[in-house]
Amino acid sequence: MKRVFHGALPSLLSIALALAICFVALALSRSDVHLATDAYAQMIFGGVGDFPSFTESGRWGVLTRPWGESTSRAALLLLTGLSVAVAFSVGLFNIGAQGQMTVGALLAAVVGAHVSLPAGIHPLVGLLCAALAGAAYGSIAAVLKVRRGVHEVISTIMLNWIAVNLIENWLVTGPLRAHSEGTVSIAGTDQILPTAELPRLLSDGSRIHLGFPIAVLIALALWAWLSRLRHGFETRAVGLGPEAARTAGIPVERRIYQAMALSGALAGLAGGVLVLGTEFRFPAVLGAPYGFDGIAIALIGQNHPIGVAVSALFFGILRAGGTRMQLLGVHKSFPELIQGLALLFVAARYVWRKLLSGRAARPSPRSSEVQRA
Amino acid sequence: MVGENGAGKSTLMNVLSGLYRPDAGEVWIDGTQVHFRGPGDAIRRGIGMVHQHFMLVPPLTVAENVVLGREPTRRGLLDLEAAVDQVGETCRRFGFKLDPRARVEDLSVGSQQKVEIVKALHRGAQVLILDEPTAVLTPQEADELVAVTRSLAADGHTVVFISHKLREVLSVAERIVVLRRGRKAAEVRASETTAEALAELMVGESNAAKVASQGARAPAGPVALRGEAIDDGVAVHGVSFTVRAGEIVGIAGVDGNGQRELAEILTGLRPASGSLRLMDTEVLGASPGELRARGLGHVPEDRLLRAIVGPMSVEENLALGRHGRPPFARGPFIDFSGRRAHAASLLESWDVRPRDPSQRIAALSGGNQQKAVLARELDADPKVLVVVQPTRGLDIAAVRSVHERLRAHRDRGAAILLVSLDLDEVLALSDRLYVIFGGRLSVELAREDFDERRIGRMMLGAT
Repeated sequence: MKRVFHGALPSLLSIALALAICFVALALSRSDVHLATDAYAQMIFGGVGDFPSFTESGRWGVLTRPWGESTSRAALLLLTGLSVAVAFSVGLFNIGAQGQMTVGALLAAVVGAHVSLPAGIHPLVGLLCAALAGAAYGSIAAVLKVRRGVHEVISTIMLNWIAVNLIENWLVTGPLRAHSEGTVSIAGTDQILPTAELPRLLSDGSRIHLGFPIAVLIALALWAWLSRLRHGFETRAVGLGPEAARTAGIPVERRIYQAMALSGALAGLAGGVLVLGTEFRFPAVLGAPYGFDGIAIALIGQNHPIGVAVSALFFGILRAGGTRMQLLGVHKSFPELIQGLALLFVAARYVWRKLLSGRAARPSPRSSEVQRA
Repeated sequence: MVGENGAGKSTLMNVLSGLYRPDAGEVWIDGTQVHFRGPGDAIRRGIGMVHQHFMLVPPLTVAENVVLGREPTRRGLLDLEAAVDQVGETCRRFGFKLDPRARVEDLSVGSQQKVEIVKALHRGAQVLILDEPTAVLTPQEADELVAVTRSLAADGHTVVFISHKLREVLSVAERIVVLRRGRKAAEVRASETTAEALAELMVGESNAAKVASQGARAPAGPVALRGEAIDDGVAVHGVSFTVRAGEIVGIAGVDGNGQRELAEILTGLRPASGSLRLMDTEVLGASPGELRARGLGHVPEDRLLRAIVGPMSVEENLALGRHGRPPFARGPFIDFSGRRAHAASLLESWDVRPRDPSQRIAALSGGNQQKAVLARELDADPKVLVVVQPTRGLDIAAVRSVHERLRAHRDRGAAILLVSLDLDEVLALSDRLYVIFGGRLSVELAREDFDERRIGRMMLGAT
């Protein structure tokens, strides 16, 4: 337990520092400490529940509605964060979660709108198709990497643009554009059928849907896979020492393909959850950069499935609460500012380690030896 | 200066060029004692080191490489024209035909080496240290280098020329220092010695006793590993050999003669043509995983790259390769308690320090890492074991213990192929041996034919 805490400390301190700096900036910008305090209070009310209003009115809705907003955002951040973390475990930096998510979102929108299925299995089929589409799209980068030595950062960035342009500038405005209803022309694809919507968990106004529990279960499964299963051990060995893994008889290429397909599947799943849980169609412009946010979430969670889950939940709450801060005239990008600062501080984790342990931070001896070899 | 691999030549030169500080002893230049705190000090005192592996920036030009670190400037801006002029002048003065504007990556290896020498001379080096300068050169380039070296010496420079090619040393040097196991074994005038006498001095005569101490042992069993006409078209040419159950077969040779590539082919890491039979099954082209499943063990040469995963724990590294089987796993799950207990007992019996299985293996010393690797591979009880440089970096006690364990493993009926650059090690352990030179194997030599002088000559390409 102590070890877990020590490992998470740089991330926790980074987030605390980011919150503190933003608090000061907010107070200075209006020369008003009360505004900053109010804004942070609103963030909590909007993110985890409006407690003062609950004690006044006793209505549960003021508590559950914020949770709906937080968890639906957290689900997407968690899935894309896990996508990045899984690729990282095999040593790849998947910048392409955005593209894989977009492909998944489109597939979910198509299956949701144009395939008739019973309510119980329709969302599951939609999510499965989204995951498969993301996996296929992610696998392109893995094949290019293994067969042709194309660096995955380059290929996934390019694949992002291909996915976004192909889908938003052609499919969604062309072949898959929604049929107009009367004289009203609608941008984006058709609305998904009601059977395809992710079930809401509460009958009140809260938008808590099945996406978040699914994402949390996946995070736990991935944690078990990476730390408890032979297959996960092999995957980590490939990520940390590919040549040693090969010499030990581990099929390195196969593990890379599998991990990258899984990474793409998770990002695709995020797209499916976005469409079936929140958007209910593929809009004209997706405009939801959760794939890129996933990189930040994974790094702040130190690529550990549980760390990613905690970090996704935290920033989901922050995002949901941030909407409410707008009531006080604080710009809605404020939570992203906090996230960006936290990422910046996490990136400087060698400095944290040095401060925390009092020892000089050194790059691992291994990397320098390998370079020499 | 001549000596076998590991005789201490490079270490000694690194002391002279300021990379290492000596624990004891003194360095004198022109009658003055000097204390180098770093390579910069040595350069200022006129010592120029040309490393075996070039320290050049390939996309930059010759002139840019030579002036790197002390670039001429004009009004604070880099003055490349002045650099070209200066470097051209240095080349003319010392008789090097080099175009200062040529890009280094476009030059032949021989010319790149000249750039290194010009770089040292340009910085005013009076003492030039050439570390195995001919190892990478063609015979013609090597001849040219010998001529250049002679003319620099005639010009008043001091040149230390390190090599294990005896003929070259004899043709280039006035005096020859022989290093053996970190000590000066002899110093002779080139005009008063022969290649044979030098080879004997290099290898030493202590091996005869060790060879005798082996004693008689049971004859070897059936062939466990048979290679026929193995060829990768690059470094290994038509290699055929056999290793029987219950014997250690050595492959002796000077570094860079294809032994590394041969080991990679035998362990499934490198494609090749020909035939490789492991216990009578054709396995050439099989993956490392299949070979392991068929009973092949492998102690790779490059420990940090191939043998261990540095950021993982000692116990994870001890499981690597067998991580799918008991006691390391139960079904698809890792068996943490079984793995921990097994690791603890291996650390104990192999005296790996510290005895902490959860320690990151990268934090262990090189010798302890190597012990862990050997513990892992021998514990798997392979029928055929390919070991490359098993004792590099180990202290004397550890070397002895590794040798004993390899012999014990052989005596249990395993076939061991030992590839080592340390001739003493090959002679001490092998029941038969082959010499590899230029990617080809010599005829096999039985133990009674182990004649270090003859083997030394074969390693250097003489027949």
